[in-house]
Amino acid sequence: MSGRVIVITSGKGGVGKTTASANIGVALANTGASVCLVDMDIGLRNLDILMGLENRVVYNLVDVVEERCKLRQALVKDKKMPNLNLLPAAQTRDKTAVNAEQMKKLCEELKSMFDFVLVDSPAGIESGFENACAGAEEAIVITTPEMSAVRDADRIIGLLEARKDEITQYRLVLNRIRPKMVANSDMMGVEDVLEILSIKLLGAVPEDEEIIISTNKGEPVAGTDNTKSGLAFRNIARRLRGEEVPFMDMDAKSDTWVTRIVNFFNPVRV
Amino acid sequence: MQVFNWLFKVPSGTAAVTAKDRMRTMLVHDRLELPAGRLEVLEEELTAVVARYFDLEPDTTRFDLQQMDRQAALIANFRLVRSKC
Repeated sequence: MSGRVIVITSGKGGVGKTTASANIGVALANTGASVCLVDMDIGLRNLDILMGLENRVVYNLVDVVEERCKLRQALVKDKKMPNLNLLPAAQTRDKTAVNAEQMKKLCEELKSMFDFVLVDSPAGIESGFENACAGAEEAIVITTPEMSAVRDADRIIGLLEARKDEITQYRLVLNRIRPKMVANSDMMGVEDVLEILSIKLLGAVPEDEEIIISTNKGEPVAGTDNTKSGLAFRNIARRLRGEEVPFMDMDAKSDTWVTRIVNFFNPVRV
Repeated sequence: MQVFNWLFKVPSGTAAVTAKDRMRTMLVHDRLELPAGRLEVLEEELTAVVARYFDLEPDTTRFDLQQMDRQAALIANFRLVRSKC
């Protein structure tokens, strides 16, 4: 088997990289694919919490690299889906604990075991990001429609372009969209951000309080029905598998009596 | 026209439009690693060169740094009155 190694990155912290990693992982596993989530945020381990697996972590990525355990021993199986695995980050070390060569080797091994290897990159553009990219062939850039996040995403896109030979494809996930604010032109929408960044869209995820609830429960929203954000992440997974899935209609619709009448007869699709 | 704008809420000067405009300018400079003020110097020098060959219509020269996909384009517009030689 030769799986796909996809790095999930953003530049800016706090835009939802880890949440997206967990949810895309769950959604991909839901489609039947075997998935390994790799937490590369060494020293700031979080992906295990979002997956509700923090009590099951025994070994970590650095233990594997430094040969204190076998790769299989460090993998933590998801509670519900046996085809979903987590390779946790070390909590006590820092970004210098692994190098690019070790990461490449690790990704090669994981690729032979799983259909999808999702690497959750740390924030920033330094060695942590470089290492997270080392074994990847594809990238997902996450941003929110805020100016600072978009600027950092642009920087990351520039760095990904410079790695064109290794990373052959990168697409955008626009996170935390507030459709009402976009409709009132108080906030940039999907089209605005795509135009500014000149990048292909992989998915658009609306702001959703369910994300906070699901994080507290340790059960990513993509695994539960009836949430808008969960649906958005499931759509992303289907697109990653090559399916053509129409994008959620969330962009600016002007709020006037004309559009209200039109919308009355055409209920808004989600 | 005002009624039209009111009815259809044509966005201009809104937070989203302002953000987008600021982003565009900022990213063009970021991508080129262009220091502040550098472009103004170039514009002065370019205008001086063109002015050696043509009489220019005063105060009509326009410079515009635009984004084309992920690349930048410098659009210069000189209004020429007549050749100098």
